[in-house]
Amino acid sequence: MNPPLTPQDYAAAVREALADLPARDRDALLEDLDEHLAEVAAEPGMSLEERLGSPEAYAAELRAAYGGRPSGGRSSLGGRLRERVSGAVRRVHTRLLVLPPYRQAAVFAPELRPAWWVLRGYALALAVLAPISAPGLIPGDIPAWVFTLAVIWGSVWLGRRGRTRRSRWGRVLLLGANLLAAVLVITAMADVPSTSSRSVAFDYGPEPDAYAPGMRVERVSSLGEGDVYNIFPYAEDGTPLHNVRLYDQDGNPIMLEQGFDQELVIPCDGEPPIRNAYPLPLKPVEQRVDPTQPEATCVPVTPTPADATASPAPAAEPSASPSPSAEPSPSAEPTHRRR
Amino acid sequence: MAVLAVLAERDSYGYDVVRRLREVGLEDVGDASVYGTLRRLFKAGALTSYVVASDEGPHRKYYGLNDVGRSLLQTSAKTWTSFASTMNDLLKEVDPG
Repeated sequence: MNPPLTPQDYAAAVREALADLPARDRDALLEDLDEHLAEVAAEPGMSLEERLGSPEAYAAELRAAYGGRPSGGRSSLGGRLRERVSGAVRRVHTRLLVLPPYRQAAVFAPELRPAWWVLRGYALALAVLAPISAPGLIPGDIPAWVFTLAVIWGSVWLGRRGRTRRSRWGRVLLLGANLLAAVLVITAMADVPSTSSRSVAFDYGPEPDAYAPGMRVERVSSLGEGDVYNIFPYAEDGTPLHNVRLYDQDGNPIMLEQGFDQELVIPCDGEPPIRNAYPLPLKPVEQRVDPTQPEATCVPVTPTPADATASPAPAAEPSASPSPSAEPSPSAEPTHRRR
Repeated sequence: MAVLAVLAERDSYGYDVVRRLREVGLEDVGDASVYGTLRRLFKAGALTSYVVASDEGPHRKYYGLNDVGRSLLQTSAKTWTSFASTMNDLLKEVDPG
């Protein structure tokens, strides 16, 4: 057992433990420590250490009582910056707590933590699997499932272990993994609607007509109102063009669906119109007045124009072709549409 | 605040403050806490200090409240009273066992 410390020894040990304080603070704090300790030591019975604990503990208590500044504080630039940022975040948080929705969210958020552990494990596992397995939002085969479940288990284990007892590098690594998982989840969510909308816009369904497989555009909405069922090309100088064939990047003809209230005008004696030659000869679907006359799907061609496909003007001049005064805008509806 | 209250009663020196706090029931008060608090209040300008020579022991540094210290004590007392009454209201229904 060490011999009991004298008040001087004890004071010196305390001074040493506070060596990181600025000299002025330390001197002000410890100015009459010696007298004070001498007073304590004058009390008979116990040694200084038995009465006051170790000099280090005494120093820590002093520090707390004097200014509450923890040991080693205010040293590095990064530390100060972190203190300032976290302080600002705390202040904003406190101020926002006045708002009831924020308060409720702040209370509720911790309950979502386990869900996040699972989600981040899932996202990270999929990210690792992405280069070696089929693309998708669910694991492709059984080994992939096993791997994914293992990663989720690890993520939950890490989350349950709590935030204490973690080294600095461990924290940095975990923060990085969390950020990565968040980015993955957000990009995955942003990706889903775009792929699904693509499959809505183009339909590779069976061709109802006699023509070769082509790109079928399913009444893509233009300007939010109405659907595209015909295209009116105009030349640079404003003259309407006829019989313009449209193809996509793969050479497939681009065809439009006509919907329920428009139908293609098919000449009775000529060739059927080319489905990707615009503007299409369309006419509104007629209510059959006379049910005994079912063969109203073709239109007798007036003999004046020449060939249906060769002439610049469509052979069967339909009611659908725009009048020359029509503006080349979507509002120039070529025909009356019943709605 | 407890240190301020003790000093408001009469001027005192560090070890005496500790002793008096323990007498009124704050058994666990740390010597270092009291000493550190005294120095902090002194640095903040709430206390005056003067050294009294003593025959049988070392010189003693006495601390006393100045105007700053008295108003500080008043403010903290007010805060404490309102806090304590709030807590009392809250805990009225709780059976301490």
